Amino acid sequence: MKKVHIYLILITAVLITACGGKEKEENSIDLTSASWEEIEKEAHGKTVNMMMWSGDPKINSYMKNYVAPAMKERHNIDVELSNGQGNAVVQLIMTEKQAGKKSNIDMMWINGETFYQLRQVKGLYGPFVDQLPNAQYIDLDNPFIGTDFQEPINGMETPWGNVQMTLIYNSDNVTDLPQSREDLLDFVKANPGKFTFDNHFTGLTFLKALLIDIAGGKDALAGDFNEEKYNKYSAQLWSYVKELQPYLWKNGEAFPQNVAQMHQLFASGELLFTMSNNDAEVDNKINEGVFAASSRAYVPEFGTIQNSHYLGIASDAVDKAAAMVMINFMISPEAQLEKQNPDVWGDGTVLKLDRLSQEFQEKFQNIPSRKQAPNRKDIQEKALQELAPEYMIRLAEDFRTEIINS
Amino acid sequence: MKFKSKHISITIFILFAAVPVLLGFGYALLYSFGLTGILSEGFTTEYWEKTLLATEFWKSLGFSLFIAAVVMTTSLFFSLWIVISWTKNLYKGLLSYVTYLPLAFPAIVMAFFSFQLLSKSGFISRVIFNLGWIDDLSQFPDWTNDAYGVAIIFSLCLLITPFFIILYSNLYQNERIPELKALAQTLGAKKNQITTRIIVPILLKKSAFTIMLFLIFVMGTYEIPLLLGRQDPSMLSVFIIQKLQKFNLADIPQAYAVSVIYILLIATLIAVVYKTRPAFFNPEKN
Repeated sequence: MKKVHIYLILITAVLITACGGKEKEENSIDLTSASWEEIEKEAHGKTVNMMMWSGDPKINSYMKNYVAPAMKERHNIDVELSNGQGNAVVQLIMTEKQAGKKSNIDMMWINGETFYQLRQVKGLYGPFVDQLPNAQYIDLDNPFIGTDFQEPINGMETPWGNVQMTLIYNSDNVTDLPQSREDLLDFVKANPGKFTFDNHFTGLTFLKALLIDIAGGKDALAGDFNEEKYNKYSAQLWSYVKELQPYLWKNGEAFPQNVAQMHQLFASGELLFTMSNNDAEVDNKINEGVFAASSRAYVPEFGTIQNSHYLGIASDAVDKAAAMVMINFMISPEAQLEKQNPDVWGDGTVLKLDRLSQEFQEKFQNIPSRKQAPNRKDIQEKALQELAPEYMIRLAEDFRTEIINS
Repeated sequence: MKFKSKHISITIFILFAAVPVLLGFGYALLYSFGLTGILSEGFTTEYWEKTLLATEFWKSLGFSLFIAAVVMTTSLFFSLWIVISWTKNLYKGLLSYVTYLPLAFPAIVMAFFSFQLLSKSGFISRVIFNLGWIDDLSQFPDWTNDAYGVAIIFSLCLLITPFFIILYSNLYQNERIPELKALAQTLGAKKNQITTRIIVPILLKKSAFTIMLFLIFVMGTYEIPLLLGRQDPSMLSVFIIQKLQKFNLADIPQAYAVSVIYILLIATLIAVVYKTRPAFFNPEKN
């Protein structure tokens, strides 16, 4: 019994010591009423921990070699980047909130489904966008930018970039591009085992485009989630996918786990198409030597989803002021210009060009043109808006029951 | 002084090994019953019912057991065969390096390596195509993302077999098997009899606990089945992460329910073995 007491005392002592770790001190000013000068002063010398998807060397390089040095030079802010996206961000913030701890991340790169999940758990700080001086240049009236998965952003996240999904093919192997659902079915039947979509975000985005097309096009599913419409049109979608299924890669009994695996299968010739949520990715991958030089990207006539990606601040972030200053820089005309250069990243800007100075307007117009990636203006008319997040949740669940487990 | 250092080492063990596991288990249990979590709405058995009634869960469990059994049987067969056949060569020359090389591969690297090797557009397929044995790469059999987990089994065997080779080559010497072999030979035993009645039983008996631990390890492996497996059936670890990290936050408690069931199954297995075969946990008494 005495031994048990000794163990308990020792364990408790160590646990108390471990739990009493020092937390960073939170901002000392009220950010909601502070002027921008006060926010910049508060941010000076701080460290911003940013969580972002780190799967693309060009994006990583832009952040490490352009954004981070600029923040250090201009505001003496250190930038710490960590890898994590989507659910990893949500899980971390949920856990920290439950533990009542300040967040280890200050800001994060998010998109619609993460925005939806973070709002569910009250994980976002804001509204803050209106306080950023560079927010005046953002094209918030554009529904592809100011609305995220059918939800107005309401100042809770800052648009950072805008992309459209494309299908990537090798022009040496595919000449007659499928433009409609019927074309696609014929193509897949004529080329069994050479087409598929992934079991993750990109694949679901592709399914959403098919669903919108089935429902009648562009605005057919706009607005809040509609159960009746979903049931009606998803039934047609699954019937279409089931028709495709026996002719898909692996007879539709398995799907690539993510888009990286699809790229690999495409590069090795096992697939005739891969997909990307970044319309400029084909150029990036050709430059990296991953895809053949004859690779091209296109948007079929039935359209693809165009969406924006955003920057958010964690509700329990310690250095919110520094995160705001960093976000303000990342949406500045110069940072957006650098980002849109295809040799750097090729990410579409969220700024409305006619609001910029003449000098920047000219610079944006003179960005080196895309090589094999489609022209943004050409694919804009085939752009479909993201659906309400519940559509994605239901599609993901039903894809498992209707297709994978069938 | 001796008493004090013993206390400290036991405390450190409890702190770093037992407490985190127990806390994690407790948290998972509470989460699975809706008693914690930001979106929790109070006690419910809904997630347990959903899990236990889902054929997907039982298929995953069955598939994990199947993979673990095949991987362990294959790895044990090859490691025993290599140790018994090449005992002397294992300690010298190129073979000693080649045999242990896979131990240096992280699981994810091994998964990519297997994918590049075994897929329809992989290395083996291309060699066979160039030899003219198949007319098209698509005729190459489905070894990755297939229904039987061929690539998963291949990768895990490559990772595990070298470990058992090391273990058995050490046991071979420690258990003085060369002496026993010589003795059996003088008594007139045939080569086959020596292998099947002396060497293999001794090595398997001495490594029984390690085999059980590896069986549990294989069942819980994640990266390899994620990349090389299919979505149905998926191994339990992939099934859990699927529920934990996909788009529906309401699925998280179900992921914890699956984790708790898995832990309980493993703990029950260990408890039954401990109760019925205590010597199993003490190789010295085996």
